Amino acid sequence: MEIRRIGILGSGRLGRGIAENAASIGYDVLLFSQGAGNNNAPHSIELSLNKKLAKWALTESEKRVILSRIDYTSDLKDLANVDLVIEATIDHFYTKQELLRTADKLCPPDVIFILTSATLSVSDIARGLSRPDLLVGLHFIPPVPKINVVELSHGHQTSEDTIRAVEKFVEKLGKKVIHVKESPGLVNPRALITLINEGAYMVDEGVAGIEAVESILKESWSMEQGPFEMADRMGLDTILHWMEQLQEKFGDRYAPSPLIRRFVRTGRLGVKAKIGFFAYTQDGLIDKTWQEQGDQA
Amino acid sequence: MKIFVLNCGSSSLKYKLYDIADETVLADGKVERIGQDDATVTHQSIDKEKVKRTMPILEHTVAIQECLKLLVDKEHGIINSASEIDAVGHRVVHGGESFSDSVLITSQTKRVLTSIIDLAPLHNPANLAGIRAAEKLMPGTPQVAVFDTAFHSTMPKHAYLYAIPYVLYQRHKVRRYGFHGTSHKYIADRTAALMGKDLSSLKIISCHLGNGASLAAIDGGRSIDTSMGFTPLEGLVMGTRSGDIDPGALPYIMEKEDLTMADLSSMLNKHSGIYGLSGVSDMRDIENGIAAGNALHITAFDVYEYRIRKYIGSYAAAMNGVDAIVFTAGVGENTISLREKICENLTFLGITFDHEANRKMGKEVELSTPESRVRVFVVPTDEEVIIARDTAKIVN
Repeated sequence: MEIRRIGILGSGRLGRGIAENAASIGYDVLLFSQGAGNNNAPHSIELSLNKKLAKWALTESEKRVILSRIDYTSDLKDLANVDLVIEATIDHFYTKQELLRTADKLCPPDVIFILTSATLSVSDIARGLSRPDLLVGLHFIPPVPKINVVELSHGHQTSEDTIRAVEKFVEKLGKKVIHVKESPGLVNPRALITLINEGAYMVDEGVAGIEAVESILKESWSMEQGPFEMADRMGLDTILHWMEQLQEKFGDRYAPSPLIRRFVRTGRLGVKAKIGFFAYTQDGLIDKTWQEQGDQA
Repeated sequence: MKIFVLNCGSSSLKYKLYDIADETVLADGKVERIGQDDATVTHQSIDKEKVKRTMPILEHTVAIQECLKLLVDKEHGIINSASEIDAVGHRVVHGGESFSDSVLITSQTKRVLTSIIDLAPLHNPANLAGIRAAEKLMPGTPQVAVFDTAFHSTMPKHAYLYAIPYVLYQRHKVRRYGFHGTSHKYIADRTAALMGKDLSSLKIISCHLGNGASLAAIDGGRSIDTSMGFTPLEGLVMGTRSGDIDPGALPYIMEKEDLTMADLSSMLNKHSGIYGLSGVSDMRDIENGIAAGNALHITAFDVYEYRIRKYIGSYAAAMNGVDAIVFTAGVGENTISLREKICENLTFLGITFDHEANRKMGKEVELSTPESRVRVFVVPTDEEVIIARDTAKIVN
């Protein structure tokens, strides 16, 4: 099937990023969100494009074309007219499976489904669907339009044709596909979580402060963002959830550091709460004027 | 002999059907928005009504098929069958160093074209798609590739080499290639005819000034230098392209503005030129702005004009003389004030300018007076006829 219109389930950072990326290269996109999720999505996508405009990465007319390719809905029935479904909701088994089961009933039988989970198995999710051969796992790294590598994992029943079609789609998005075995945490989330967790342990043990750990790692490895800023952007609640999932599977080497638990408990969830390891401005930039109070860090 | 000329872009194509005996255009048209449900096909055969249709056209094969259908259509067509087409001439943007002239397309030609795709990643894939589609729809009809770069293949080494480590030329063929070759060739041929002289005796500076713009120094009918380089970004100030800039400024800008390579490329290609200086990219808007006293528009015009004049001076030096300067393409053919300012400041070459003639629009016209030492012309370009001529020559 020629993929021309993509349905994306979930308008969080990941869903919006995939929508912007796909629309930028010419796909029509339908962004689905339950509740108020879609209220901010158009504005967030426009803000993201405005940042590119400010850096001359696109023109005003290109921006208008990209925005015009994205439609928004809160009605899953609209999925009847898409050629590909990408699930991009929170990493929760029953949430994802329930949503995909509903989509399964609404979409034409040859539509491929993509699962974006970092910790859930494609084979497990596929069990609840009438199209287990058409389900593939993709792990995108936010910001999706910028990061050009994607991990692809497939389930026991995923067909070769489905894998080829998804590879082609990802390559069209301008990204490199790397195949990995379906395993909790895949490669990137597992390695990243270890880095974030170890950094947090070091801060807790007083080896160095948040700024110092961030700076040493970021500058030594030429990272665009250090591990703590990455964690803040992904959401510390998400990071903690991943750690707990991995701890359950692989044991205590993934045991979350007390600092991360403390941050999540006190609402320091990262950019979305305007505070996590760092404080953030309204525009989501690190607030360099902010000073940590007390002995949190 | 009927020659079908195809110019395929990534999401559009233009075509003309020629009767090469007298170079009559029997039909022409274009397909826009290829890849979309609402693609448009516009077609007109000689002495017939223009037709415009909207339909889903997802790829080049379907687009060319629709063009062929219209060419044989009872109401709008001009031929009875596609088999009446004797050959197809394709515009191909980049021939690299492999093609110094137009060629008959064989499987070997396509292999070489595929191997040099990264020299023109935006254009050559679409050109190849057009070739493959035409072969599929007109099996057995000879196909010819005519390259934008080929006319400049006569440039001497001292003109095409950049003074960077020679190994980069050896490894990656980084050098000046030049573009708009078919246009510059047409201008050279036509200028010689207008002057009633043998092209081999003339030194011509051809100024192709469209949204993209380049100058060529043509000595004895051979291009000996041109302002576009490895890519169409170098040289003159263009609608949205910067043209020449100190390469040392680029890493400085990237660092100060935190730009990626892709951001920088987009900035130089889409946000610079007269648009970058003034906020508008169309020379007609610049002229209106100047009339209204807009300082930015005046500056943009001055920078644009000065760069052209500087290149004309350097090409006169490169050829050790100049017999004719010729303006062509959208801006070159239609901007009276630009031609006037350029020529008024070239009196050292012995140009005397005919202001009256300069106001004539839309046709071939001489802008210099009889006593002028260098003759100046406006010649509307015709790239398609060069493609048709080369195709006929090769097929014959």
